Amino acid sequence: MPAVRGDGMRGLAVFISDIRNCKSKEAEIKRINKELANIRSKFKGDKTLDGYQKKKYVCKLLFIFLLGHDIDFGQIEAVNLLSSNKYTEKQIGYLFISVLISGNSELIQLIVQSIKNDLASRNPVHVSLALQCIANIGSKDMAEAFGQEIPKLLVSGDTLDVVKQSAALCLLRLFRTDPSVIPSGEWTSRIVHLLNDQHMGVVTAAASLIDALVKKNPEEYKGCISLAVSRLSRIVTSSYTDFQDYTYYFVPAPWLSVKLLRLLQNYPPPEDPGVRGRLSECLETILNKAQEPPKSKKIQHSNAKNAVLFEAISLIIHNDSEPNLLVRACNQLGQFLSHRETNLRYLALESMCILATSEFSHEAVKKHQETVINALKTERDVSVRQRAVDLLYAMCDKSNAEEIVLEMLAYLETADYSIREEMVLKVAILAEKYATDYKWYVDVILNLIRLAGDYVSEEVWYRVIQIVINRDDVQGYAAKTVFEALQAQACHENMVKVGGYILGEFGNLIAGDARSSPAVQLQLLHSKFHLCSSMTRALLLSTYVKFVNLFPEIKSHVEEIFVADSNLRSADAELQQRASEYLALSKLTSLDVLATVLEEMPPFPEKESSGLLNLLKKKRPGRVIENPDRLDEHVKKEPRETNGTSGLTLASNTEQEGGSADLLGLGVPSAGNGNGPTTNGAGAVTNNIQKFYCKNNGVLYENDIIQIGVKTECRSNLARLALFYGNKTNHPFMNFQPNVSASPALSLAILLQVKQVDSTVEAGAQFQQMVNVECVNDFDEQPDLNLVYNYNGAPQTVNIKLPISINKFIEPTEMNGEAFFSRWKNLSLPAQESQKIFKAAHPMEATDSTKAKLIGYGFQLLENIDPNPDNYVCAGIIHTRSLQIGCLLRLEPNKQAQMYRLTTRSSVEAVSQHITSVLCETLNLPFNNQVE
Amino acid sequence: MIGGLFCYNHKGEVLISRVYRDDIGRNAVDAFRVNVIHARGQVRSPVTNIARTSYFHIKRSNLWLAAVTKQNVNATMVFEFLLKVVEVMQNYFGKISEENVKNNFVLIYELLDEIVDFGYPQNTDTGVLKTFITQQGVKSVTKEEQAAITSQVTGQIGWRREGIKYRRNELFLDVMEYVNLLMSPQGQVLSAHVAGKILMKSYLSGMPECKFGINDKIAMDSKGKPAEESKTKSAIAIDDCQFHQCVKLSKFESEHAISFIPPDGENELMRYRTTKDISLPFRVIPLVREVGRAKLEVKVVVKSNFKPSLLAQKIEIRIPTPLNTSGVQLICMKGKAKYKASENAIVWKIKRMGGMKESQISAEIELLTTDTKKKWTRPPISMNFEVPFAPSGFKVRYLKVFEPKLNYSDHDVIKWVRYIGRSGLYETRC
Repeated sequence: MPAVRGDGMRGLAVFISDIRNCKSKEAEIKRINKELANIRSKFKGDKTLDGYQKKKYVCKLLFIFLLGHDIDFGQIEAVNLLSSNKYTEKQIGYLFISVLISGNSELIQLIVQSIKNDLASRNPVHVSLALQCIANIGSKDMAEAFGQEIPKLLVSGDTLDVVKQSAALCLLRLFRTDPSVIPSGEWTSRIVHLLNDQHMGVVTAAASLIDALVKKNPEEYKGCISLAVSRLSRIVTSSYTDFQDYTYYFVPAPWLSVKLLRLLQNYPPPEDPGVRGRLSECLETILNKAQEPPKSKKIQHSNAKNAVLFEAISLIIHNDSEPNLLVRACNQLGQFLSHRETNLRYLALESMCILATSEFSHEAVKKHQETVINALKTERDVSVRQRAVDLLYAMCDKSNAEEIVLEMLAYLETADYSIREEMVLKVAILAEKYATDYKWYVDVILNLIRLAGDYVSEEVWYRVIQIVINRDDVQGYAAKTVFEALQAQACHENMVKVGGYILGEFGNLIAGDARSSPAVQLQLLHSKFHLCSSMTRALLLSTYVKFVNLFPEIKSHVEEIFVADSNLRSADAELQQRASEYLALSKLTSLDVLATVLEEMPPFPEKESSGLLNLLKKKRPGRVIENPDRLDEHVKKEPRETNGTSGLTLASNTEQEGGSADLLGLGVPSAGNGNGPTTNGAGAVTNNIQKFYCKNNGVLYENDIIQIGVKTECRSNLARLALFYGNKTNHPFMNFQPNVSASPALSLAILLQVKQVDSTVEAGAQFQQMVNVECVNDFDEQPDLNLVYNYNGAPQTVNIKLPISINKFIEPTEMNGEAFFSRWKNLSLPAQESQKIFKAAHPMEATDSTKAKLIGYGFQLLENIDPNPDNYVCAGIIHTRSLQIGCLLRLEPNKQAQMYRLTTRSSVEAVSQHITSVLCETLNLPFNNQVE
Repeated sequence: MIGGLFCYNHKGEVLISRVYRDDIGRNAVDAFRVNVIHARGQVRSPVTNIARTSYFHIKRSNLWLAAVTKQNVNATMVFEFLLKVVEVMQNYFGKISEENVKNNFVLIYELLDEIVDFGYPQNTDTGVLKTFITQQGVKSVTKEEQAAITSQVTGQIGWRREGIKYRRNELFLDVMEYVNLLMSPQGQVLSAHVAGKILMKSYLSGMPECKFGINDKIAMDSKGKPAEESKTKSAIAIDDCQFHQCVKLSKFESEHAISFIPPDGENELMRYRTTKDISLPFRVIPLVREVGRAKLEVKVVVKSNFKPSLLAQKIEIRIPTPLNTSGVQLICMKGKAKYKASENAIVWKIKRMGGMKESQISAEIELLTTDTKKKWTRPPISMNFEVPFAPSGFKVRYLKVFEPKLNYSDHDVIKWVRYIGRSGLYETRC
């Protein structure tokens, strides 16, 4: 037993061993209760406890807390410990406080005072403890209380290095909770100059801090670039003996190097040629070092070395300006591709994916194609194989497309199930993008369906049909190929779909051959008919009726099929309808009519297969490596006229099936927002401010180029709108300026606060802008959003209203019948009431939708209050800064007359009128647009 | 159809695992351990469904006993069976504990083989089981004896074998009742019921037929002399009752007569429950006064409410204390009182107390101020006791024994009847 009192804390050790020896949970709880009672009586007792005892009991409390029990006392004792001069006591006190003090405790003042004392202390250990505690609590209060002092500590000349180190990290923690703690102005350069500090620990800590600051405000901290570069070069060029304490397994200061390299990735390549040269030199040195034989066989040595190397390569890729470095990085990664270490192979593949998108290193990456394909085949780890697929996709271009697609197809057969769907999409995209010969394309896709039919999504086979229809030269080939493919014993349903469609359109092109005569075609297709789902059967029925037109000689066979009970009397309404309609069509109509109705499909509008790309993005949000668009309009698709012939087309048939109307709509930006035909430019597609009276989130505006979404959050008289701007094109928007303004009258009633945004919106990017609104008075207008930007050189403007109306500030109020009607009577002045009688546009039975609208508008729906159960009764309070406006509403339906009477009463005349008029219109909107 | 039966110790280690049906896989044992015994939050439901398998468990002194099935079984049956298993084991080797289970592995597996067949519970009567599952060495059984066992186990009266002989024919009856009460601080009864059981120990020769009479209201009414007797209040209303399998239920249904051929040795003959006209043996009157934030004064008076000639025993009153108690001073007139910090309660024990008496304890509780705003929930004061009468008013009216074949009559049998009233959950809010 240690004889010295103060270190052993025997009581604590005994207590802990008691707990550990407990046989059951109950026994443990009993022991804890006993101990708690003991501590309570000790704390309560009149005789004062000495520091050792306090420390011991506080420790026990901590231990009990860590076992999962609530501790609601002992804080005072812990705070008392803070004023002790002994390190152990102070430490336990701080530990207890950082674990157990809740933010709103009354003791926080006391604690803050103690921490202040310690911060001012001469003893560096005390200062460090205090800093640690601040960082551990890290609350807003702490940020406010010490936001001033810590920066001073950080840059002051006579602070010890260890303390500075803690101060930097503490400041970083506070900065993350409250970004306003960092003072600006003169402090900036002083903080940045910490990178020049003698002590490596301080530099490492400061690098983290500066990295966070730079992310927030890159301009202000620009000065750090040159400092970081020179610091980096000093580390890189030194030998490992120079940094005694900061050398990790023969690598000088690896953490600091990584941090500095990360820091530099926040900025574009330095403009100053001197700095730039030095940076390149550093990066080159790092690459050189990678070639040197390892100084140690330990895994830590190579880990540290590679960490620096990979970060350097990231920086090289980020800068994307030095072809020489890029190529060297690529070669370095190439070596890793066949490294023993799985993690290294993974990282190498991942980095290479990015390298492949750079114009300088694309060629260099291509050199490793063999290795990558090999990795795909032999790699054991599925996540690495996935990366290999990504890389193949990224490095693919015109020259190697055929080979890569072939390899991927070959691999698909044995590929892991989790990556198959993605691979299928990638193959489809690559095949289309780099197809010089559409015969090849058709072959690839059909192979795809054959190999991995289950993973071929609708979009893929839609696309192949579109392309075949649009291109005369492959139609015959396609027909022949699908015919051959269908002859396989078991073929996938998707294959039947494609086959059915193509033969229906172009079966005549191969009908000359006796082996594929019309009758054979029909028989072949029909042999698959019974194995297919009803959707495919419906498609096949359409094919058959097309055969009637193409090959009159087999008309009777086709009619036989239609007449068959399984079709004409099918349980599936769709099949039945098709069978009977097609039967009638073929029996009754003349050849002319038949020919017109069943004419060949008109070409589809030419589109990139953006549908597929979108699909790919949806599958792997956030990390899709683009296949760079560096070529070459290798295929100029000559557009054919696309005026739709009025006729029965397969597409329109599919439309009847409801869900799958997308065959035509492939290229059209994701449907569902109720958009009509668009003109390129500012033609508003979706701009329905009406809808937003009853809902808070949704698409505010949409056309071909841009989509503006909105999300509203309201609390009492404050509202916050998040506007989401989405760039739907492949070009960035320049000079992007959203401008929110209110009319003079409106600006008196509401206060708008708009966050500034970047002036550039990258292609395909989405970002959000916050607008804070405070309601001062009631109002009945809506603020304007005036958006100006350049798209592809042409200026665009969008003028819309922001969906902020007085009802967003309604708080639903629950009340009973008595309260409601007494208030209702109190508001009986004519000016307070507003009434409107209007005709119902929808069946009045749809009470749910009406209720949903009223609730969506912001009211509390009071049920079972009105004597007439059909009436809707609502109440709410509008919060403005100056006053609260009570609002009551009754909606009385008259079922005979199909009329509604809407009465609104509130203490402010304008409000009643506004609500009445808005609700009148809203209630007559079709419902399905209202609530999502 | 019980699929299997598992027994775990408190750590979740499997002590006994007996699978009766093929649909229960090996991983079923682990599933229960992972999802119930080692569950993060305490599992309170006795029935747990894990992956289409149902687990029914009970806990006995640190041991978990779980029955598992894939079928839709009668849950009550399963629990009844589990309780029976516990009873049988207790009868064989006393207290159920990990130690005892480990020492009797062979015996337990033997028992489990016998009391369940392909998932269907069989004879769980200890008396019968003891005839062929013994803890001693096995004497070689003669053919006749073997046949006797078989015919007995499969026969009509499976619970008693023939040819029992005693020199003294004796019969012991214990009427055991548990009183449950919840009372408001003002003395209003919020809920009260009595759960009673009749334990019988019979040492009778031959195959005697017994008839048993109690002061049940319906039974007495049906006897045709309802007027006076039910008015004298000596009849009680039994809410529901259940009998040992030896009681002829058809006779009970038709004549309200309890007649049976008793099993040999100790058995539970009947269970019943009453809710009306309960005479509460004790009344607890709490007085709690909060003196500022740091002090609490508690005074509790206990009054006994039965005939002065009777004597209650083993009285224990448990007064919960707030969670921030830092010290307690106690003064009591009778018995011994102690503050038990580990249970957050004051425990006051009185060895004996006569009827129509009262006693009092006063406590000063010092509190430590804490930063929680949670108020103390004031759990109820609970009480334990034992009294020598039946609080429900239950009376044994007669017990007659007929043995036509042997030469002893009802008068020759020595009969003993004893009434014991105990506390169940006997609580008073404060």
